[in-house]
Amino acid sequence: MFNFTREEKKVILFLVLISFCGITLNNLAKMNYRIKKLFCPQVRLARIDLNKVSLEELISSRCLPVKTARSIIEYRLENGDFSSLEALKEVKGIGDKRYEKLREVFFVE
Amino acid sequence: MKRLFAFLAVFYCLGIILVSSAWVNFWVIFYLGVVVFTAACLSFTNNHIFIVLVFFLALILGAFNLKNSYMQHKRHIRNFVSHNDGLVYNLSGFVDSQPVVENKRTIFIFRTQEVQLNDLKWLCCGKVLVKLDFPQDLSYAQRLTLTGVLSRPFGFSSGFRSYRDYLSGQGIYLLMHIKSRTQITTQPGETGSKLIIFSLWLRAKLEQTIRRYLSDLPAAILSAMVLGQKQSIPWLVNNHMVKSGTVHILVVSGFNVGIVAFIFNLLLKIMRIWPKARIILTIICLFVYCLTTGASNPVVRATVMGTVFLSARILKREADIYNCLACAALFILAARPGQLFDIGFQLSFASVLAIACLYPRIKSFLRLENLKAKAIRFICEGCLVSFCAWIGTMGIIAYNFRIVSPITVLANIFIVPLAALITLCGFSLVLCGSFCPFLGKIISITTAMLITLLLNINAAVIKIPGAYFYL
Repeated sequence: MFNFTREEKKVILFLVLISFCGITLNNLAKMNYRIKKLFCPQVRLARIDLNKVSLEELISSRCLPVKTARSIIEYRLENGDFSSLEALKEVKGIGDKRYEKLREVFFVE
Repeated sequence: MKRLFAFLAVFYCLGIILVSSAWVNFWVIFYLGVVVFTAACLSFTNNHIFIVLVFFLALILGAFNLKNSYMQHKRHIRNFVSHNDGLVYNLSGFVDSQPVVENKRTIFIFRTQEVQLNDLKWLCCGKVLVKLDFPQDLSYAQRLTLTGVLSRPFGFSSGFRSYRDYLSGQGIYLLMHIKSRTQITTQPGETGSKLIIFSLWLRAKLEQTIRRYLSDLPAAILSAMVLGQKQSIPWLVNNHMVKSGTVHILVVSGFNVGIVAFIFNLLLKIMRIWPKARIILTIICLFVYCLTTGASNPVVRATVMGTVFLSARILKREADIYNCLACAALFILAARPGQLFDIGFQLSFASVLAIACLYPRIKSFLRLENLKAKAIRFICEGCLVSFCAWIGTMGIIAYNFRIVSPITVLANIFIVPLAALITLCGFSLVLCGSFCPFLGKIISITTAMLITLLLNINAAVIKIPGAYFYL
């Protein structure tokens, strides 16, 4: 009845496989919320946790000068954890322009 | 001679390198070219001398083309501003790129047509990089009048090429910084290429489809892998991929072009289109895809290589990888000879050349074909391809980015097959999601899972001690 070529068969199998996989994951996520972590990347993969990052990590990430990285850690030691990203503006060496860039790099839980 | 194009490309590149490192007058190269051309015509019957002279002509042509590209039109906007003069200019023209909105700023390339200083007006040409301090809804080909100060880019650099050199490679010599909306006036009408307008419209539609089904981070990564749109990639993800030497997966490359060619060829085959017409239509689709992804050097290289491969099928001739690569290099360098010094161009060609050159030799040396277990052989071959590409690009990366990542070989073993799967899922999502939302939703879950896995693997491999080090 149908005469599929080798390539057509491969495409059909691939589409069926990814659909099957998608439905299974969707179903598992409905039963167990933790499964959602499998297909929702955690925010720490894309941004640095401002309250947990160490000085070494901050320096090695090369997202800001060493002096400013030290100021951030010092600020955290003196004032406790950052309550929001806005608080970064209070750190010495971070103005509006740098803050706009750093907003994309850090997050506060 | 089997690899004529490869030799021609080598001599053409040599010409570009020679003239860029030594000062030679344009007319000296011209007269030399005339002499060699005449000699080649005279030695038409002597094959050996003729070939040597043709290679020499290719060298002269490379030098000649580079010298010509340095020369600007008399009415080029660059000639109106000799230094940072601080004068306020009125520029009329149109938007010549897809505007990018980043950190509440809008950046685009503006193609000038008329310049006005006080009451004096001149016709002009050339491109200006415009930076707006606010988000503005603009599109390609939109006609505008801009008022502002023109300045030259800074010459600072961390490597051997400065920001000024980078921009001049793209034909941009001036910047305009706009702080207020009153400095922009929209003019009626549209200019620009209809094909580019169509490609950008297509890109916007495909990007919309991706964003409809995926959350921000997976959508940003898939847009980069399928459509070459890297603007939304978070800084940390990009940084991690640079460290692990896997950032190449975020660039549209030969693999994507191959998939597009495969999909269209298959669709046309299902429609029972005549084979030769199918190949021609596939080539057209490749060019549209190339424009849609921004026509960066790796895509142009892959598109030209794909076109040569497909054309060889029409002409019933065997395609040679070195000749295809040389054709692609000549195609890019004929239009913009300065691209030879572009890092993207060097990385793209160096990796393919290293794979084409080293892979078969090392494979036969290690006798991988003797491995009986298919899975092990597949893994070993994957490692070898990644190793060859790393060897080919290591020098360029170390010199330009001051980073060496020995983890690259290991990281690529896991990440490259995963990236290939994501790309396939991405194309399936884009195609199925546009027509069947239910199927799109299902495919998007698998795609998101693969992207999450990729990000986790990447974050894990760079934590291995000695994974990377800065020079």
